[in-house]
Amino acid sequence: MADKEVDELRARLEAYVGKPMGPPAVAPDAVNLPMIRHWVDALDDRNPVYLDAEFAATTRFGGIVAPPAMLQTWTMPRPRIEGIAGRGGAPDKMISDNPIPLLDQAGYVGTLATNSELEFVRYLRPGDQLHLTTEVESISNRKTTALGQGYFVTWVTTYMDGEDEVVGRQLFRILKFDPSTIGAAA
Amino acid sequence: MTSGRTDSLRSTEIAVGDELPPFDLPVTSTVIVAGAIASRDFMPAHHDREFAMAQGAPNMFMNILTTNGYVSRFVTDWAGPEAMIRSIKIRLGAPAVPGQPLRFSGQVAQTSHEGDECVIEVAVRAANELGDHATGTVVVTLPLG
Repeated sequence: MADKEVDELRARLEAYVGKPMGPPAVAPDAVNLPMIRHWVDALDDRNPVYLDAEFAATTRFGGIVAPPAMLQTWTMPRPRIEGIAGRGGAPDKMISDNPIPLLDQAGYVGTLATNSELEFVRYLRPGDQLHLTTEVESISNRKTTALGQGYFVTWVTTYMDGEDEVVGRQLFRILKFDPSTIGAAA
Repeated sequence: MTSGRTDSLRSTEIAVGDELPPFDLPVTSTVIVAGAIASRDFMPAHHDREFAMAQGAPNMFMNILTTNGYVSRFVTDWAGPEAMIRSIKIRLGAPAVPGQPLRFSGQVAQTSHEGDECVIEVAVRAANELGDHATGTVVVTLPLG
């Protein structure tokens, strides 16, 4: 790709910084015991504050709390299973005005998750109804990596409860790379 | 089914350099699929071997939500039910795939006091034969005392 095209792409990417990565989303269900139980069994996490109400009442939590790492689970979009592989795994037909399609069109079709940073402002309790907003935090200059040339895209998801109080955040960074440029000089 | 521990570490028992008891997770297709569906992640790469391999992965692989869940469990299995996790910050590396056990290890990197809480920074690592699957830092608090 010529330098001029690289610069043009960089300028178009920069326009997304500070903008939403996707539309605001609302959790389909409130924080609830059946989904906590499902998680506890799947990961064999026997911390009694997640399911044992009597015990949890004696701890500083004062009652049952959800496993903190479930934060993102509550707001995962409801999937349409039919055709999900054809959509590359996207839960449903999603038209998002974000940097990813732009990078895909420019040949940076590879995706590798590189960083996840979860922060918990408070533990969630059954009944908490979450919603979220997202924001593109930064997009790197083009880098030469072991997978080829690409851009690091970082966004932050902010999770809020029914009173709009922030309960947690997640920073997520992916590398969008062009697999045909493996071994290319910087 | 095992029941979880009901006692917690006392903050006075924790010192910088303490090693967490290592934990070996036998990663199977079932472990990966169970975590993916419990976290409501239906990406085929986390349950469909052919799909994952067509995308260049060696096999179906564990989703990030499940990795974070096991990191959380690893730390609270050590600290006990009074532990409150403040953050899990990880760098992602080698995929966790069936047949490759993941070894979780950790060490207390820093401790401090904040109000009536002891704040503990734990350096964590989950690795398999392919390399480091996840490395990073978990900040967890316990009541002082």
